[in-house]
This record gives sequence, structure tokens and C-alpha cells, in this order.
Amino acid sequence: MSKLLNSGGDEAEFAKPLYVPIKRRSFFMYAGATAGATALLLSGCGDDENDDVVQPGIVSLGSGDVGVLNYAYALEQLEAAFYAQVIATPYANISADERAALTAIAKHEAIHRDFFKAAITAAAPTMIIPGLTPDFSKVTFSDRTSVLTTAKTFEDLGVGAYNGAGQLIQNPTYLLLAGKIVSVEARHAAYIRDLITPGSFSGSDVVNASGLDQALSVATVLGAAQAFIKEKINGDNVGK
Amino acid sequence: MNLFKIISELEKVDPELMDRLSHRRSALSMLGDISKKMALAAAPIAIGSAFNKAMAQNTLTNPNDILNYALLLERLEFSFYDQALKAATLTPVLTGVDRAAIETIRTHELAHVNLLTAALGSAAAPAPANGFDFKGAFATYDGFLTTAQALEDTGVRAYKGQANNIPRTLNPTVGGTVVNLLTVALQIHSVEARHAARIRYMRRGATAGNQTTIFPWINNAEANGAPAVVYGAGNPAATFPAESNLAQGGIANLTTALGATYSAADVSAAFDEGLDNTTVTAIARATANF
Repeated sequence: MSKLLNSGGDEAEFAKPLYVPIKRRSFFMYAGATAGATALLLSGCGDDENDDVVQPGIVSLGSGDVGVLNYAYALEQLEAAFYAQVIATPYANISADERAALTAIAKHEAIHRDFFKAAITAAAPTMIIPGLTPDFSKVTFSDRTSVLTTAKTFEDLGVGAYNGAGQLIQNPTYLLLAGKIVSVEARHAAYIRDLITPGSFSGSDVVNASGLDQALSVATVLGAAQAFIKEKINGDNVGK
Repeated sequence: MNLFKIISELEKVDPELMDRLSHRRSALSMLGDISKKMALAAAPIAIGSAFNKAMAQNTLTNPNDILNYALLLERLEFSFYDQALKAATLTPVLTGVDRAAIETIRTHELAHVNLLTAALGSAAAPAPANGFDFKGAFATYDGFLTTAQALEDTGVRAYKGQANNIPRTLNPTVGGTVVNLLTVALQIHSVEARHAARIRYMRRGATAGNQTTIFPWINNAEANGAPAVVYGAGNPAATFPAESNLAQGGIANLTTALGATYSAADVSAAFDEGLDNTTVTAIARATANF
């Protein structure tokens, strides 16, 4: 199953530079030298990581902004692996329309995963978490209800995770990136929910009486995600 | 100091630069004045501020101004759905689960209006005295949904465009509860995205525009009959690119830069883009008189 995590073919080419000269120049021109320099650093990684002791089988997401990026990377790895399996072994009698939509979602999640891998590799190459091993043993991929229910769980969890993590992010570039991704996860969530129960795109189980979507803590999200990941994830210092 | 060489250099990284500047003669004449009057050493700083003036279109900095901007958009959206649900032209076609979906969305928009009003307290701007006139948007089901799509996708871009203007540590008390303002904005933002997804898929119906290829997400900058500006670049385009944007986080083109090869449609759809308040407000004013 761990092979699925690498199915985007994202392993080989990360050695090449992500910030080619012309882009760096334009970045500084428009952002201003100070903002640009800040964006290229991780404000949270000034801390020495002595508190993140490496233990076998335990993956620490790290602290500060890089912790948030690893947190997002972990969730996107999970989603990408899930949808890759959905597309590889589609459920019985999948319609052409659902297959097309789920294929697109699988691509979006793979792009998110690969993007975070590239972004973290560029910003903090020694602090990126490894590829995780998903555990989908409780999912029946041949069954539409099982697949869509799991998809709903992942998408709503993703929305709540990004919403909750926003205030933890110090770097404006990363905050905007999280915003760019969370609304796509919300679009996915709405679509999946409507497939299960038409009209449940923003049901009262996720949107409260004030019209607010969920904003979940790191602990809550990891508590739910852990059931689908073999490694033990430690997010105690994310955003700190 | 060769000004034209500088502009030429800037054009290499921003091909639309001259378009932006040529619409702002004052900025150009300011550059002319500078070259005559100022010491050469100081010129780069002054030129920088001239370019900022031409390009900075996110004009809100005060949290109350941002909240009032959001309040105007939410009032606009609530009024839009409220009028739609009361429009005799839509009664025969907006039925069943689709009508219920629009009622759900209206309920959320009203909740947002109430929440923002409570957050602003005495600083809340008054509602437009004559309400919102959507100029025939309810004549057909197709037209209604097309405008709804434009408003929801614009709403998503509007909140995203303000994310970095909201202090992360602003924790006002709203209705007796301490809330983090940035988190609340994000929570509204993703609800608007859920609405947008629903509306977009409703447009697939035969009487709803028959958009057989539309998806709940935005491929490239496809407008599907909505105004193209909703999916176009804002100002500055480097911060608020069009929805067809393929560059993220300093990586020039995600279709080829990530090891695997991805289509432009998938890359663009995987990231929604923000929009500055000037462009958003112009879209709102093109949609309704208020």
C-alpha cells in the first residue's frame, strides 16, 4: 500500500532548484526585499528541535510553520493515497460522471501532496516528514457507500484542519497557500456529500448555526486521521 | 539611471506591467517629475512607491473596514437568494432538493450577516438604503444560477484575498464568545466554497444552463457563462493571479515541476486564487445596483 504514496512519480526530480533566478528576482521585486526574505525563511524554525526526539515508528511533524506544512503534507498524503486507490479499483457500477469527478479530485490531492513535498524540501529540507503508510483496511473499495463515506470524512476533516491551522501560520505566503487549498477541499467535500445525500453539501453536522464551517485543532484532526495511518503521528508542536 | 531599462526589466517578469501603468497616467507623470527633480540615488525608492501606487488594489487595512466589506458582500448574497426564492419566475423551476439547497444557502448568508453585524457592533455600516437591484437576474433559472455562481466564486476569492490583512491575534468577543477573527473568516470562506460547489453542479441540469462539463471546482479560468472578470487576475496580479494560475509558492509551473506531469486544468483547479477588494467590489457593482 505504501507504493500508492509514491504513485505520483514525485521521487526523482526534487533535487532540481525550485527557485530559478528569474522567479526569485520577480518575487523580491514585488514582495519587497524584507517580505521576500521572510517568505524564504521559516519563522518557526528558529527553535532547535531538541524536543523532537526521533523514535522508531513515530513521525514528528515538527514545530512552527514547518510543522504546519508537514501537518498539511501528512493529510494530503493520506487523501492522495486514498483517491489513487479509488481510481485504481473503482467501486461497482461507478458512473462516468462520478469517475471523472473522482479522477479530478485524485489529481488535485496528488498535486497538493507533491506541492507540499516540494515546498518543504525547498524551505526546510532536513525537516520534511517521510512518506507515510496508509491503512485503508476498514475501507471497502468495491462499495460506493464505503468509499464515499470515507471520502466525506477526509474532505470535511481537511477543511476543518486548514481552518483551524490558519491562525498558527506566521508566514503570509503559507497562509495564502492554505487558503487557496482549503476552499478546493471544501468544494470536494460539498460534491462528495451531495453524492451521498443530495442537499447535504453544507449540512448542519459541519456548518453551525452561525454559518461557520468547522475549525479543528491539530489534536482532533490527528486523532481522526491516525486510524488511517500506520505510523504514529506526533503533532504536539505544530505551529508552536 | 535608465528608467526605461528598469521598466523593460520589470516587463520581463510582469508582461502586463505596461497595461497597468498606461491606465494610470498620474503614475507615469509622477515618474517623469521624479526623473527631473530628484537625486538619482533616491530615484529607485520613489519609483518603487509609484509602482506600488499603480498596483496595490487591496485597500483595506483596518479590521473593521474588512468586516464591513465582508458584511456588504454577505448582505448582497442574502438579498440575492432571498429575492430568488420569492421570484415568481423561478417558482416553477426552482423546486425540490434544489430549492432546499438555495434555502440552506440563504440561511447561511443571513447567519453571516448577523455574525458580522454583531462583531462590528456600533461600527457596522448601514445596509444600502434602497437594497440591492439585481437587474433581471431572476428572469430565468439559468440566469439566476449563473449569477449565483459568479457571486459564490467571487465570495471565495474575496475572503481569501483578505486573509493576510486580518491580524492572527485579534480575538474579539462576539455574542458573549471570544473568537479568533482570522479563524472565523476562514470558517465563512470554506462555507462559501461549499455553496459555490453546489451551485456549479446545479448548472448541469437541462433547464439550469446545461453546463455538461462544469465541475464543482474551477478548471483553468473557465467562466461557464459567468463574467470572465470573476476568474481573471486582480491587482497586483503577482499576488492575485487569475484562476488559471499554475505557479504556487515560488514554483513556476506545477504541471511539470513536481516530478509527475499534471494537466493545467487539474493544477489550476487544485488551487483557488484570492482577489483584491477593489476588483471584488467592481464585480459586485456590476452584478447589482446598490
